[in-house]
Amino acid sequence: MGFWNKLLKIDRRWIYTIIWLVVMIPLLFPFKIKPMAMPPVTRLFNYIDTMPEDKALVISVDYTPDIQPELHPMCIALLHHAFATKRKVGLLTLQVMGLGLGEAAIRQVTEEFNAHATTHEDSIINGEDYVYWGWTTPIITILLGMGERITNVYPVDYYGHRTESLPIMKHLKNYDDIGIVVSIAGSSIPISWVNFANTQFGVPIGCGATAVSAADYYPYLNSGQFTGMMAGMKGAAEYEQLVADKFDELGIKWELRRKGTEAMSSQTAAHIAIMIFIIIGNIAYFVTRRRKK
Amino acid sequence: MTLSLSLIFLLSSLSPPTDVIARDKPNDSGGAILLTWTRSSDTTVVSYRVLRQTEGKATWDTVGLAGRLANRFTDDEVQDGIRYRYQILTVSETETAESAPSEYTVCSPQWFNFDRMPAVIGTIIFTCLIVFFIGRAKRNIKLFIRRIAGLDAVEEALGRATEMGRGILYVPGLSSIDDVATIASMNILGEVAKKTAKFGTPLIVPLRDPIVYTVAREVVKESYTAAGRADAFNQDMVFYVTDQQFAFAAAVDGIMVREKPATNFFIGMFWAESLILAETGATTGAIQIAGTDAVSQLPFFITACDYTLIGEELYAASAYLSREPLLLGAIKGQDYSKLLILVLIVVSTILALTANLPVQNIF
Amino acid sequence: MIVLVLGIFGAVAFVIPHPIVKSIDETMRNDVLRIITAFSLVLGVGSIIQHHLIKIRRKAEHWPFSYIALISLAVSAAIGLFGGIDPASPGILPTHIGGFSFHMQALYDNIMIPLASTMFALLAFFMASAAYRAFRARNLEATLLLIAAFILMLGAVPLGRMLIRPLPDFAEWILTVPNTAAKRGIMFGIGLGSIATSLKIILGIERGWLGGGG
Repeated sequence: MGFWNKLLKIDRRWIYTIIWLVVMIPLLFPFKIKPMAMPPVTRLFNYIDTMPEDKALVISVDYTPDIQPELHPMCIALLHHAFATKRKVGLLTLQVMGLGLGEAAIRQVTEEFNAHATTHEDSIINGEDYVYWGWTTPIITILLGMGERITNVYPVDYYGHRTESLPIMKHLKNYDDIGIVVSIAGSSIPISWVNFANTQFGVPIGCGATAVSAADYYPYLNSGQFTGMMAGMKGAAEYEQLVADKFDELGIKWELRRKGTEAMSSQTAAHIAIMIFIIIGNIAYFVTRRRKK
Repeated sequence: MTLSLSLIFLLSSLSPPTDVIARDKPNDSGGAILLTWTRSSDTTVVSYRVLRQTEGKATWDTVGLAGRLANRFTDDEVQDGIRYRYQILTVSETETAESAPSEYTVCSPQWFNFDRMPAVIGTIIFTCLIVFFIGRAKRNIKLFIRRIAGLDAVEEALGRATEMGRGILYVPGLSSIDDVATIASMNILGEVAKKTAKFGTPLIVPLRDPIVYTVAREVVKESYTAAGRADAFNQDMVFYVTDQQFAFAAAVDGIMVREKPATNFFIGMFWAESLILAETGATTGAIQIAGTDAVSQLPFFITACDYTLIGEELYAASAYLSREPLLLGAIKGQDYSKLLILVLIVVSTILALTANLPVQNIF
Repeated sequence: MIVLVLGIFGAVAFVIPHPIVKSIDETMRNDVLRIITAFSLVLGVGSIIQHHLIKIRRKAEHWPFSYIALISLAVSAAIGLFGGIDPASPGILPTHIGGFSFHMQALYDNIMIPLASTMFALLAFFMASAAYRAFRARNLEATLLLIAAFILMLGAVPLGRMLIRPLPDFAEWILTVPNTAAKRGIMFGIGLGSIATSLKIILGIERGWLGGGG
């Protein structure tokens, strides 16, 4: 049997092995790729970057552990951006399973910043630089209540402190003090933010969505109801790149662990592998077809 | 000094919303009142609070909150037949301002939901078209239906399985019996079962839903009886596996690898497991015929299967296979309805594109 | 006749919001359907047991796996019935080995979720083998499909933008314009097909699903 014939009839297990290697190796030894940000991600980044200094960033951690690999890097990247540019941050979750994920994100990022902090100003302090409100219910009460007074909706934060007593809450009374709310979700919660917070109070909304859900959100992006959007792991990687560039601009030298970008090297390799398979398969097909003729 | 202070106080006083109208929410089952108002012109407004008073009571209760850009609110915690009136409170950082109360209103349920009128009209037109073509079919007027390759291949696939002495695997999707795709699949299963009864080909039908299992069992049993081979029917042909999506996919993959059926049918509603099923079946060398109305799974079936019934071809399958005039008439009615929708889309697009032209003033 | 009456009632309930009609509709959907499902679940479980017992009795090919299936069914049923749902709501018999508690949540988190994730992960491998086997430029349509697939795969990774700057935007255009148009066309057909099939069933024209011809 000729070489091309053998290639056409190759045992599938070789393909599976190659795919396994192509996905595993970049995860263990990621290669450097520089994602170039698409307009929706750039718009979101620029909006947060140019917000007035007295406006806070609010992140709504609305995803669950099963989609954590895709969405958690978005949350981390946003926190890196906010703290590097000395913005106040509020975190909440409308999805009870996001509670632990939000706490993990804020803990990771504050530990990173505090490990490199040399002064009190450089440190990230709970209650001064950020507040984690946690979870409560029902959703509509939160979305509307935050328009009036956030401390009425969350009288106590995730850690049990009275929110009225936290210094940050003096400058974070309601939506007027919030520059943008970014909802990171695998469900349709970002649309609830648009329906209530944006439509009724005018607060800008950003979105972090899985690649599969992102297709449904483009109408909101095009109409301006979403200020910007990160779609899937690629969106997370693009935002991480923008944050890394910002770090360079601000002279922050320490290395960031960029999980979205690392995963993109795996995804890139897998896509290239599949494209090569298709090309080889087609070459083999045409060569053998010509020989038969 | 006092005059200027008074003036300052008057000037800084918050303006309330106006034109507060409360009315029964239309097209509902009662228990809801719709409020509308004209927003306050003040830029310091933070939000609006909605207050309700029941007739005969002195107190006003806060029933909800609305954003500063809102001008409507639905109160769905009211009872039919009781009169209520409302006030809207403008809220700023430091003060509030009350609107004038609305008139008393009462809510009640409606007998018809006029919001759904377009759907009703569309359904009536559609039904009339179907009834018309069924009438034509009854008068033995020949109705043409284009060739559907996937359905033509059914007979060939069954014959191949019989020659090879191997069985047929029929997976009727993973959805429940209330899904139209599952019902369409049951119709096709009936036709396939008649043929397997005639040829004596083993049939394997694994199921995910227990209700679909009971229906499928009866369909296959009746088909074997109709084909005159009631003795050949075996209870074990049709069996329930599990209701977990990927556990079901794993079980069907195992059946395909062990039993090596010559033909696989994937007809019904599928989700993420579609490629797992189709690709595993392809490794066993079986002919695969798929049919689904799950648009997101069609690319996987088209790639991995030999024939794919796309969307409504699945619903046309029972008419196509049985060639019953009544069923063919219904297909024709369906096609003419689609033609009508197509014409409406083209006309609407032209009207929308020419919206600003003077010719539109004629209308 | 039952199908006709209930079918027409379901259509009527769609346009009549009055509580009298709504409450009957909700009783049918919430109560009657649940009762039918519960009974059919018993039949389903009976079917699995019968299917595997027959295999064991006849010593059919791979019959030892039927033992595994039946034992798994019995053990998970026992844990579900007697072992409790989670540590907060323990069962009659606390089932644990060492520090590991066997309750339904533990079974679900430690067995069901990893197994389901593994099956889901197989898609990556199957996509590669399906693409290798089936993506051939046999004719014009297949070639167009191939080109679109290349553009979308490249557009979905950073490499695409590095190679050809407008490529990700073009990939997005393919998804949002021609792809959406085709999807909507198919969905129109599916919607009409669903109405037609439902009408045929309600009017008794299609009776194949009853097993009685049609």
